Amino acid sequence: MIYNDDQKALIMLSTVEGYAAKRKRFESVDRPRELYQDLSVADNMIAKMEKEGIGAVTLIDDDYPESLKEIYDPPYVLFYKGDVSLLKSEDLLAIVGARKVSAYGKNIMLNFAPAFIKSGLIIVSGLARGVDSIGHKISLDNGAPTVAVVANGLDICYPPENSQLQSKIAQTGVVVSEYPMGSKPLQYHFPERNRIISGLSKATFIPEAGEKSGSLITADYAIEQGKDLFVVPGSIFSAQSAGCNKKIKELQAIITLSPDDVVESLGRTVSRQSQTAVQLDMDLQSIINLLNDGGLHFDEILQKVDIDIATLSSALSQLEILGMIRKLQGNYYEIIPRI
Amino acid sequence: MLAKTKSYALNGVEGYEVAIEVDLNAGLPAYDTVGLADTAVKESKERVRAAIKNSLYCFPIRKITINLAPADTKKEGSHFDLAIAVGILIANEEIQSNIYKDYIILGELSLDGSINSIRGVLPLIISAIQNGHRKFIIPSKNAKEASYISGIEVYAFDKLADVVNFLAGNGEVKPLETSQFASIHRANKYDVDFAEVKGQFVAKRALEIAVAGGHNVLMIGPPGAGKTMMAKCVPTIMPDMTFEEAIEVTKIHSVAGILDDSVGIVVHRPFRTPHHTATVPALMGGGTNARPGEISLAHNGVLFLDEMPEYQRRTLETLRQPLEDGVAVVSRSKRTLEYPARFMLVASMNPCPCGNLGSKTQQCKCTPSEIHRYISKLSGPLLDRIDLQIEVDSISYDDFRSTALNESSDSVKDRVEKARAVQRARYVGSKTKTNDEMTNAQVKKYCALDESGEALLKNAFTKLNLTARASTRVLKVARTIADLDGAPDIMSKHIAEAIQYRSLDRKYWD
Repeated sequence: MIYNDDQKALIMLSTVEGYAAKRKRFESVDRPRELYQDLSVADNMIAKMEKEGIGAVTLIDDDYPESLKEIYDPPYVLFYKGDVSLLKSEDLLAIVGARKVSAYGKNIMLNFAPAFIKSGLIIVSGLARGVDSIGHKISLDNGAPTVAVVANGLDICYPPENSQLQSKIAQTGVVVSEYPMGSKPLQYHFPERNRIISGLSKATFIPEAGEKSGSLITADYAIEQGKDLFVVPGSIFSAQSAGCNKKIKELQAIITLSPDDVVESLGRTVSRQSQTAVQLDMDLQSIINLLNDGGLHFDEILQKVDIDIATLSSALSQLEILGMIRKLQGNYYEIIPRI
Repeated sequence: MLAKTKSYALNGVEGYEVAIEVDLNAGLPAYDTVGLADTAVKESKERVRAAIKNSLYCFPIRKITINLAPADTKKEGSHFDLAIAVGILIANEEIQSNIYKDYIILGELSLDGSINSIRGVLPLIISAIQNGHRKFIIPSKNAKEASYISGIEVYAFDKLADVVNFLAGNGEVKPLETSQFASIHRANKYDVDFAEVKGQFVAKRALEIAVAGGHNVLMIGPPGAGKTMMAKCVPTIMPDMTFEEAIEVTKIHSVAGILDDSVGIVVHRPFRTPHHTATVPALMGGGTNARPGEISLAHNGVLFLDEMPEYQRRTLETLRQPLEDGVAVVSRSKRTLEYPARFMLVASMNPCPCGNLGSKTQQCKCTPSEIHRYISKLSGPLLDRIDLQIEVDSISYDDFRSTALNESSDSVKDRVEKARAVQRARYVGSKTKTNDEMTNAQVKKYCALDESGEALLKNAFTKLNLTARASTRVLKVARTIADLDGAPDIMSKHIAEAIQYRSLDRKYWD
């Protein structure tokens, strides 16, 4: 890719740490190319990027997503790996949340994310552990593109266990960062990164967030940027839902009880997959009937149905494979709700 | 004057003959031991001298040379004392008869002339029998242990003087009577029983399958869930040891010196729980005075690793080869030792460092990276050797008054023994004994699935996101479930059940 001097200067500007410092430099000149006398550093950076298949799109380019131009402090350059045109999509939905996600939060993701994807939304998230990774993984599992905005250079992966996930996203979606290659995931990068996640997206959805969760920073950016914030309420006793509940209490978020709440308010139709009724045999049906009243432990099911351990284990596997129930940690089983 | 007595030395759990040559010569009084003797053997001269004197025999004031042949192998232990003392007395013409030549002499001397117990009597005797020896002199404290072998003459003594009298042909001593293994076996019961474990039906069922097929198990659950209790019950549902198996175990325990002298044979399947600070030699065996490690002491029984991720990773990895081959090979620069180590591995771990992950009542305080690090302490190759991974959890059983499901160990054992019989019949003529040991070719042959089974397995992999390495494991476990069920072919329901026991493959550990 060929970059002109303005673009090169902006690419070089990315090496300045801190957003305020960047803006000060940017506003001190009339044209970006006046920022630096010698652009050879940028040439080196570009050569390295090309080797890794990383591209850059700057504030002054046509490819630059309009949605970001509207926020208070848009990044001057976005480095990307993958399909950059996704960033201009009108269908982006930010999903962020707790890194340490509870069974409840996972459950929400497992139910909501596929519904979002089916209605044509593209999930934007931060590749962090927990909710972020789940969102990306569900997208990939459903063959849908997804956008990951990371807080470090694109040659680095944080958290390290997500390196495979990162390269998969780059194949079908896009991984984006405002930091040049070699930048480490410094602590203050994360809040800066969050403004891009909310800025790119039409709305932000938080399935679960603790009181001090970083996803609340994203939530605040979304509100500041005038975008809708959707949160799912949780138990008042659950520390992992405290952040979501707080947003509801402060009347800053839209209470979300089903994926439809998000999909419809974004002006999309809910696509429903026709569920073909499965004919179950007696044993399986009696287990389903039991579980309809709430999740149960294996031993509890065993006490309540009239079948032996081997048959029950086998029946539960079959129901899992049919996608009707799922196993939770600690030998608990529950119905997968059909939303 | 030269005398030559016979004794035996240990190498691993096998013995080899050591000829003890004693030569008395004119010259300045001296006492030299040659033939690569270690410290314990060299020190024997002081014990021998005192014991001979205190048994009121004359200790020769001459130049004494002792040679332990073969002279080029290192000899360990104190059990040559008796043979050396007898040799000196013969050389000094205190014993005139020649009958000593037929005997293998084993025993450690005390300064007062009494004979102390030694370790490894049983393996030494068994090796000697294989080399054509039939007559033995041993310490009477080891008599029980030696009494289970029939067709040989074993004489047990308390004092050096008694041995001398016996070899001189004075007085009559009767050989040991043979003990019956079966009667000892019946008289001893385990002190735990499966019926005492309340609830935990999944775990108990999984352990039954594991024992039936010789599979290794990993139990995952919070502290206090009863993992250790259940592990202790595992030997109670294993088939009773045959005499041959008991002898194998007793040999190892005898070498390690942990045999109960009053019983003299290991009647129960061993249950070993090495602490998680155990070092590689402690687990594998070896050390300067080579001894079998914990995994060999667990031979034919259960090795229980509580809190498995707390063990040093290096220690855990050394288990891989014995889990595969059933022997612990300890290689040192000068020699290689082999100890049998065919054990069932039962391991336990918490779901996370604090133990509360996934609990309905307690909050987990671990960070995701802590959990990740904790789980990843168990390497893939090691987990590959553990067929069943089950979740155990604490749940209140106040509501459950029914005791009908709390079976006793004996009734579970009956089913296990039937399933084992099926396997024995199937693997006749091959090295494989249980389903766990099936080779790839055997998996192909004996774990063939019908169409619906194939479809189920395929679906399970995509829907439940099982890892690819799980497939053979699932098949082997399904084979065992079918054997317990008395089914000649693996059916869909067997596959479905086997899938339940692959907890670590689940998505929620990601």
